[in-house]
Amino acid sequence: MLVPGIDVALNQILIFVPALVVLYFLMDMLFFRKHLKRQLYRNKLINIILVVGLIGVFFFTIKAITMQMFLQIFLLNLVDLCVLVLATTGIVLIFKTSVTTNFAQGMMATFGAFFAANFVLYLTSNSSMGKTPKLFLGMFAGIVCASLLGLFVDVVIIRRGKHVSSVGKQMITMGLVLVLMGLIPVIFGTIAPSLEAFSVDVKLFQIGDMMLVIPYHNLYALVITVVVLAILFGALRFTKWGLGVRATASSEIVAGMMGVNTRVITAMSWAIAGGLGSIAAFLYASAGAQVQVASMIPVQVNAFMAAVLGSFSSFGGPIVGALLINLFSSVAPFYNDVWQSVIVYGVILLLVLAKPLGLFGKKTAKKV
Amino acid sequence: MAKMINRLILKYRIFRIEKLQAKQEFLENYRDIQVFRQDKLLLSATNRIEETHQEKLRGFALRAGITTKYIEQEIKTRFEKAETKHYWEKRALNQIMIRKAKTHKLDEAQLEVIRNKKLKLLDDMLALRKQKITASFEAKAKNPEQAVALYENNSLLLDALFEKKTQVVKEKYAAKTAKIETNKKNQLERIAQNIKNHKDMIGKLTKDMPKNDNGLPEDVILRLDKLTMRFGGLVAVDNLTFDVKQGEIFGLIGPNGAGKTTVFNCITKFYNPPSGLMYFRKNLVEVILLNEYPVHKIVKQGIVRTFQNVELIWELSVLDNLLVAAHSLFQTGFFGQLIHSRKLHQEEAVLRKKATDILAMLGLLPYQFVIPFGLPYGILKKIELARTLMVKPKMIILDEPAAGLNESETVELARIIRKIRKEYNTTIFLVEHDMGLVMDVCDTICAISFGKQIAIGSPKEIQNNKIVRDAYLGEE
Amino acid sequence: MRKLTNFMKQQSKQFASVVKHPYFGFILFGLILLFTLYLRSMGLVTISIINAIVMTMIYSIIALGFSLLLGYGGMASLGTAGFVGLGSFIMGYFSGVLHYPLIYTLGISFGVAIVVGLIVGFISLRIEGMYLAIITLGLGEILRAFFISYDKFTGGYSGRQFRNFTLFGNAVSAQAVYIIITVLFVLAMIATLNIIKSPTGRALLAMKNSDSAAQSMGISLLKYRLLAFVISTVFAILAGMLYIMYIKFSYAPDWNLSFSLNILAAVIVGGAQSIAGIILGVFTIFGLNLAILNYIPFFQNNSALMVIFNGVLIIVVVMFYPGGLIRLLQTLKYKFVLFIKKLRIKWKVYKYGKDD
Repeated sequence: MLVPGIDVALNQILIFVPALVVLYFLMDMLFFRKHLKRQLYRNKLINIILVVGLIGVFFFTIKAITMQMFLQIFLLNLVDLCVLVLATTGIVLIFKTSVTTNFAQGMMATFGAFFAANFVLYLTSNSSMGKTPKLFLGMFAGIVCASLLGLFVDVVIIRRGKHVSSVGKQMITMGLVLVLMGLIPVIFGTIAPSLEAFSVDVKLFQIGDMMLVIPYHNLYALVITVVVLAILFGALRFTKWGLGVRATASSEIVAGMMGVNTRVITAMSWAIAGGLGSIAAFLYASAGAQVQVASMIPVQVNAFMAAVLGSFSSFGGPIVGALLINLFSSVAPFYNDVWQSVIVYGVILLLVLAKPLGLFGKKTAKKV
Repeated sequence: MAKMINRLILKYRIFRIEKLQAKQEFLENYRDIQVFRQDKLLLSATNRIEETHQEKLRGFALRAGITTKYIEQEIKTRFEKAETKHYWEKRALNQIMIRKAKTHKLDEAQLEVIRNKKLKLLDDMLALRKQKITASFEAKAKNPEQAVALYENNSLLLDALFEKKTQVVKEKYAAKTAKIETNKKNQLERIAQNIKNHKDMIGKLTKDMPKNDNGLPEDVILRLDKLTMRFGGLVAVDNLTFDVKQGEIFGLIGPNGAGKTTVFNCITKFYNPPSGLMYFRKNLVEVILLNEYPVHKIVKQGIVRTFQNVELIWELSVLDNLLVAAHSLFQTGFFGQLIHSRKLHQEEAVLRKKATDILAMLGLLPYQFVIPFGLPYGILKKIELARTLMVKPKMIILDEPAAGLNESETVELARIIRKIRKEYNTTIFLVEHDMGLVMDVCDTICAISFGKQIAIGSPKEIQNNKIVRDAYLGEE
Repeated sequence: MRKLTNFMKQQSKQFASVVKHPYFGFILFGLILLFTLYLRSMGLVTISIINAIVMTMIYSIIALGFSLLLGYGGMASLGTAGFVGLGSFIMGYFSGVLHYPLIYTLGISFGVAIVVGLIVGFISLRIEGMYLAIITLGLGEILRAFFISYDKFTGGYSGRQFRNFTLFGNAVSAQAVYIIITVLFVLAMIATLNIIKSPTGRALLAMKNSDSAAQSMGISLLKYRLLAFVISTVFAILAGMLYIMYIKFSYAPDWNLSFSLNILAAVIVGGAQSIAGIILGVFTIFGLNLAILNYIPFFQNNSALMVIFNGVLIIVVVMFYPGGLIRLLQTLKYKFVLFIKKLRIKWKVYKYGKDD
């Protein structure tokens, strides 16, 4: 998409950001070398510079592409955002309770989506339900299926693999990816029946003097996501189960000793993560993407990036990370159509390098 | 400007000297290994010659049918063989009897009869064999006098041959050893000359420069000057100042959380202290500021340490663990290692010998090729200690060496510490909770609490110090 | 008589010491592979077996570099596919399209390998363990997107063809490429073994097991991390070049996460620290279906089963046989030898009775 002012914006960014970096190094060299609380000030400075940099980048971009287009694009890409947020939350949930990075998250989600799509097909041919209840029922079926799958994986595989190192646990999930990748075509066939969107209507509304359009489907997606996450976070904060999850997340052994049933908690986390992923896959599919085995891989990679960006140690961080990635992906096509993915990944990489433990991460020192 | 150039040249010369000294040590050790190898080869060669000589003599004697010594021995060996065979046949017979008894349901008497019959058969066979053996040695010499004369002739010839061969071999090896020695002498001379040249140059350069020992007296090896370490708001080490003298055993005591391990981590640069200076005397003329060095360069300056939680490399054998410790001594570059050049083999031979010597000194030889996983805790601590000795350090830092050891092991540890100090002439700086060990082995003790120094002195003084007693030792 | 037996004993000892030397094993293996080529020219061996052998060799080179990273350095990198693809496209573009002399292309690819390895190595210093896997995954994705976008270099969705490969003015036949690949394969094995048994290999293990101990012994984490990454990237890019030399075609979307995961699987399943294990693993994951299973009708109809099989293999090996299949085979052999010994003793007890 070519927008006239975009070159200007690019130039502005290319001056602004390096200037910030130079400023950081100058301040570091001049003020912080011999200061006692050097590390602390350095971290604060990095945070400030990152925020200022991001704001600046978006400021220049929006100035070039106009606020209307920016908001419009954002609304159009809302489904991607919801998908990413759900996927990322699933990953972080499993990481916090089983200390495993679950590379199979996307595949489990795809499994659920395939099941859901076939279920909807079954409903379509064998009953005369309306579209919306059919889709919701299908989504629900997919959630159940993926949750059971997650449960199965935890009970049968992860629990047996307690003694394996963390690298080993990653390998197990990678093996799981391959197993599911082969299993899905065998059970469901290579291509899933396509899913319809919740609604193909769009809604027009107005903010100030900007006319904005939002497809109803995106609204559905947003509402579903918000409700699900609200329930999840509410449960985490206010229920006994949530307390158990947080206890297990900080130390499984100690939580077990305190009477928390860590096995149930871990199993439930896997099930819930499966469910979250399945909702994400379902929303992704019904937005028009064809559900294939490989289709969730880019989404999953992005979800991992969001989790790394936001730091695995909190739930809110990855959501912010997902938001950032979504905004970058929305904006990048304006700069260069061909290289947009490269730009997005490159920027994420730079951010991760600047803050290796995630935007909200905390450093823990090891006692020697 | 000129000063900076001078400083650079100085650095370069020091660097060259270090490299030359490393080469010196390598050469000495490697030539020793070579000489040792030559001796072994000589020994095995002479053994081989002697063996063949004896064989030939024996052969002649047997053929001549004379010299009862050889024949008697031969008969004895063959008798023994026959008797062992007889023994095993008897045993097999017993088993067969037992099995037959079960299958044919015979009673004792029948069994006895059959067994005795078969035993008699076996004994007869044995006697027959023995007869055969003695017979085969009798009808040897058709013409005794001729055989004797032949034998004596041959034996004289053989003896002369033996003398000559041994002489030749000895000369060959002597020549080789001499060559190695001269090579070594020449190379070492050259290197010594080189070093002398560099040192002279350094002398000239530093004549005008101020003496770079940062005010450190010659007998002090480590000086901490107002060392402070913080973690966020927590002050772990607070303005700590003391001297460690060369060659002494220095102890640091204090309650848990007093900051002892933090002091170590600062000295070895695992942490970067925000304030305070640490001086270390590398040698008689050079004193360095430890603050300027990163972690992995500390070992080259001569400081090694052990860890509170034993940090060995579980995927390598004990010997390989020691070889890793000598990593800073390897001079071969990456490409030399890639193709396993001769230099790498030589260096590995030298360092392997060094490692086995250290292991032998500490009594760890049985564990040489074993992976340290699962070994007793006391042995693991000893391996860590062995690791520190590989680089001939100037100062060894021991972090709670007696933790987890029982009475007798602690006593042995004290003995080992003193032995190391004597043989390697190092300074030992340790942190310990076992007061028995500390009072026994240390020359100077410094007591700290909450990061601050509360007393320093000889063990007697510390024991009687009231503040230390209140904070840590308790009444006794 | 005795003299003769002694002489033969000595000679056989010398022979054994040469034959047992691992270099000899590698060279013998290479000679067997070359012999297979000869058999092919006589029509005794099918082309698919030759293909399976070549693919195993090429992927083994990648896996050997990867194992130095994973088995000895303890760092997981999921960007391998991108590097291999990069190697293939460099060869395809500079030698194939621009017709640079081979030396220039080699120089470019080594230069690129070193630079990329250094970059990833520096990144690895900032980021620990599991984050590193994810970041390298992202790097692999960047490279894949880069390949698909930059179609002048890579041919985009039509792929890059590689024809008319000339060396010193003569066209290079497939047989010659096979020989080159075999030679480089043997050299890669020898190089990896040398690195493992050298101070560098020990330093990598030290870094993996305890970086505090490593630093206190003078091992610079920076240097050895960079070294591990550079070596592994060089191996990967070299293998990419060999790939396009033999297959004569490279398709950008092929260099994806799935390929990196398969390499990881091969190394883990075979045994991350032993060279024989790595080759066994590569053969199991990549070569098995090409060479054997293609002929079994059951697998011909359901190719997805192969993928499932690989996945199950990874899970089972990681959970129950952490040393890989090669360790499993060694344990089995050891147990077998013990069993034979026990049998022998039993027989002796049967024949001679128990000792009192």
